[in-house]
Amino acid sequence: MKRALYLLSVLLLASFVVAGCGKKDEKKAEASKAGITIGSLGPLTGQYAADGNDIKNGVLAAIEVMNPEMGAQGPVNLQAEDDACDPRQAVAAANKLINEKATAVIGAYCSSATIPASEPLIAAKIFMITPASTNEKVTERGMPYMFRTCGRDDDQSKAAVKFMTDQLKSKTIYIVDDKTTYSQGLADNIEKLAASSGLKVLGHEHVNQGDKDYSAVLTKVKAAKPDVFYVSLQNSASAAPMLIQIGRMGIKSKILAQDAVYHPQLIELAKKDAEGVFLTFGYTDKTTPAYQKFADAYKKYGEPGAYSAYAYDSTIAYLKAVKAAGSTDPEKVKAEMMKLDFDGASKHMKYRENGDSGSNYVIQVIKDGKFTNYWNPENGELFK
Amino acid sequence: MDFFFQQLVNGITLGGVYALVALGYTMVYGIIQLINFAHGEIFAAGGYMGVILISWLFAQGYPPFLCLGVALLLAMGYCALLAMALEKLAYKPLRQSSRLSVLLSALGMSIFLQNGLMLTQGVYDRAYPGEMVQGGFEVGTVMISYMQIIIVAVTVLLLVALNLLVFKTRIGKAMRATAQDKTMSGLVGINSGRIISITFAIGAALAAAAGIMVGLYYGSVRYDMGFVPGIKAFSAAVLGGIGNITGAMLGGLIIGMIEVFAAGYISSEYKDVFAFIILIAVLYFMPTGIMGENVDDTRV
Repeated sequence: MKRALYLLSVLLLASFVVAGCGKKDEKKAEASKAGITIGSLGPLTGQYAADGNDIKNGVLAAIEVMNPEMGAQGPVNLQAEDDACDPRQAVAAANKLINEKATAVIGAYCSSATIPASEPLIAAKIFMITPASTNEKVTERGMPYMFRTCGRDDDQSKAAVKFMTDQLKSKTIYIVDDKTTYSQGLADNIEKLAASSGLKVLGHEHVNQGDKDYSAVLTKVKAAKPDVFYVSLQNSASAAPMLIQIGRMGIKSKILAQDAVYHPQLIELAKKDAEGVFLTFGYTDKTTPAYQKFADAYKKYGEPGAYSAYAYDSTIAYLKAVKAAGSTDPEKVKAEMMKLDFDGASKHMKYRENGDSGSNYVIQVIKDGKFTNYWNPENGELFK
Repeated sequence: MDFFFQQLVNGITLGGVYALVALGYTMVYGIIQLINFAHGEIFAAGGYMGVILISWLFAQGYPPFLCLGVALLLAMGYCALLAMALEKLAYKPLRQSSRLSVLLSALGMSIFLQNGLMLTQGVYDRAYPGEMVQGGFEVGTVMISYMQIIIVAVTVLLLVALNLLVFKTRIGKAMRATAQDKTMSGLVGINSGRIISITFAIGAALAAAAGIMVGLYYGSVRYDMGFVPGIKAFSAAVLGGIGNITGAMLGGLIIGMIEVFAAGYISSEYKDVFAFIILIAVLYFMPTGIMGENVDDTRV
C-alpha cells in the first residue's frame, strides 16, 4: 500500500514533465560549428514568451530558406538566447552570443532589452537587427551595426493621431500604458501629438506590466467617457484581459491599440470582445510571392505572430548581405546591407543610413475574428 | 459615490480570490511552520486543469454551469492529490531536518512545477471558452457581472465549508490538535502524518478553485500565472496573522480592497506599493498580524 502511494505520487508529479519530453526540441544538433552563427534574442520564458518564440521561429524559417543558397559559406546555425525582456538578462545573453562567435543577432523584442543588449554587441562589431523594437532611441544612438526592420514609434503615433482626428473625428481621448520603454514612450508621443492636434486628453494612466486586473482603471475610463480609449500595452496577452474587461464594463468608447498587441492570440483570447478594436500596424501585403514563401516556410511553427515575418526578413537581409560580401567581415557586410533593395515578406527591405527601414503604419481593425486593413494614413482613405 | 461602489464590487471579487489562495499558505504554515512556495503553482495547475476540462466538456455540449461544476470538483480533486504527492515526496522526507531545507525544497518544487507547466502546456496563453458566462446587470451605474457573482458565491461557499470542516468535524479537531502540538496529538492517537497530508490537500483544493475562477474571470491562463497571486496571497496570510484561518480570509479581502482603491483613487502604478505599505504598517504595530493573537483554538 505504501509503495503504491509513493508510485502514485511520483506519477502525479511526472505528469508535469512527461508531455514535455515527448516534444522534440527544435534546436538543431549543434554538431558543426562551422559556417555562420546567427543569434536570436527575445523573451523565450516569462510573460512575453509567445513573442520571443515568434521571433526565434521567424529566424529558423529564414535560415531554412537561405541555407541551400549559402554554398561554401554555410551552414547557418542558430543560437537562440532568452532575455526574458529583462535589461540585465539581455546584456548577459548578448555577452554569451559574443562568446559563441555569433556574427549577427536578430532581436530583441522589448525596446528596454534591445537598447542595453546593443551596447556590447555593437562594440564587438556584431550586427543587431531588431524585428520588433519600435522605440525611436534604438536607432538614434549612432550605432553602426544597429538595424531595424519594423517601424518607429514616432511614426506610429502620428498615424494613430491622424486616424483619431481625420477618420474617427474624435474630440477626447483617454490613454493607458504599462510603463515599458516601448509602451510608455509611445503613449507619451500620443499624448503630446494629441494635445497639438486639438484632441483633449482626459487622462493618462499607467498600469503595471503583466497586470491582469484593470477594473480600477477601466472604472475611471468609463466615468470619463472618452471618444477614443488608447491602449498601449506591451503584448497581446496583457491586452486580451483588458479587452474582456472593457466589454464586461460596458465601455462604449472606440478602442485604438498599437503594434505590440497584434497577435492571433489576441483574438483567440478576447474573442468577441476583440471585435471592432483598431490598431496601428505595419502594412503587410499577404498576397505577394515573398509573403507566400515565408508562410510556407513558417507553417510548421503554427500561425505567424506579430513579428515573425519581420524576424524572417531581418535574417534574410543579413544572409543576403553576407552572401554578396563573400565573408562575414563586418565592414564588408555593412556595405552590402546598405545596398539591399528587395521585397521582403513584411515590407520592402531597404535600410537607411541610421539603420531604419522606414515605417508604413496603417490602421487595422479586428473584424469577424481577423485582422483586416482598415484605413491608410498616407491618403486618408479606407482600404477596399 | 457610484465610483466607490464599483470599486467595492471589484475589490470583493479580487479579495475573495486572494483569500482562497491565502488559506492554503496559512493552513500549511499553521500545521508544519512551512511557507509552501509551491502553492502558487498549485493554483496555476488548477487553472490549467480547469481550462482543459471546461473546454472539453463545453465542446461536448453540456450546459455551462454543469461544465463549471464538474471541472471545479475534478480540478480540486486533482490538485489535492498533487499537493499530497508533493508533500510526500518533497517535504515529508525532510521533516526531521532543519526548516531551511524544507523551505529550499518548497522553492525548488515551485520552480519545478512552473517549468513543468511551461513544458507540457506551452508558453502561450490558453483561453477559456468565452461563451461560458456572459453579461451582468447594472445597479444604478455600478456594473456587476455574473462572473463576479459566481466568484463571490463560490468563494463564500468554500469558506463556509472550510469553517465547518475545521471547527465542527473530527478531522478539523485533529487538525487543530496537530497544529498545537504534534507530539502530544500523536500520543493521544492522532495520525499526524495523515492530518498534515489532508491539510495540504484542502489548501490545494481551495487554490485550484481560485485558479479556475481567475482563469474564467480574465479569460485565459498562463504557466506563470501563479507567481504574483501567490506572493499577494502569502502577504494576505501574513497580514491576517499566519496560521490563522479567519485571518487569511480577512487578509485576502483587505489586500484586494487596498489594491483596487489605491488604483482607483490614487493611481494604478501604486496599487502594489500601497498594498505592501499597509502590510508593513500592520506588521509594525501588530507583529503577529491582525488576528495573530488568539492562536490557541482558532489556529490550524
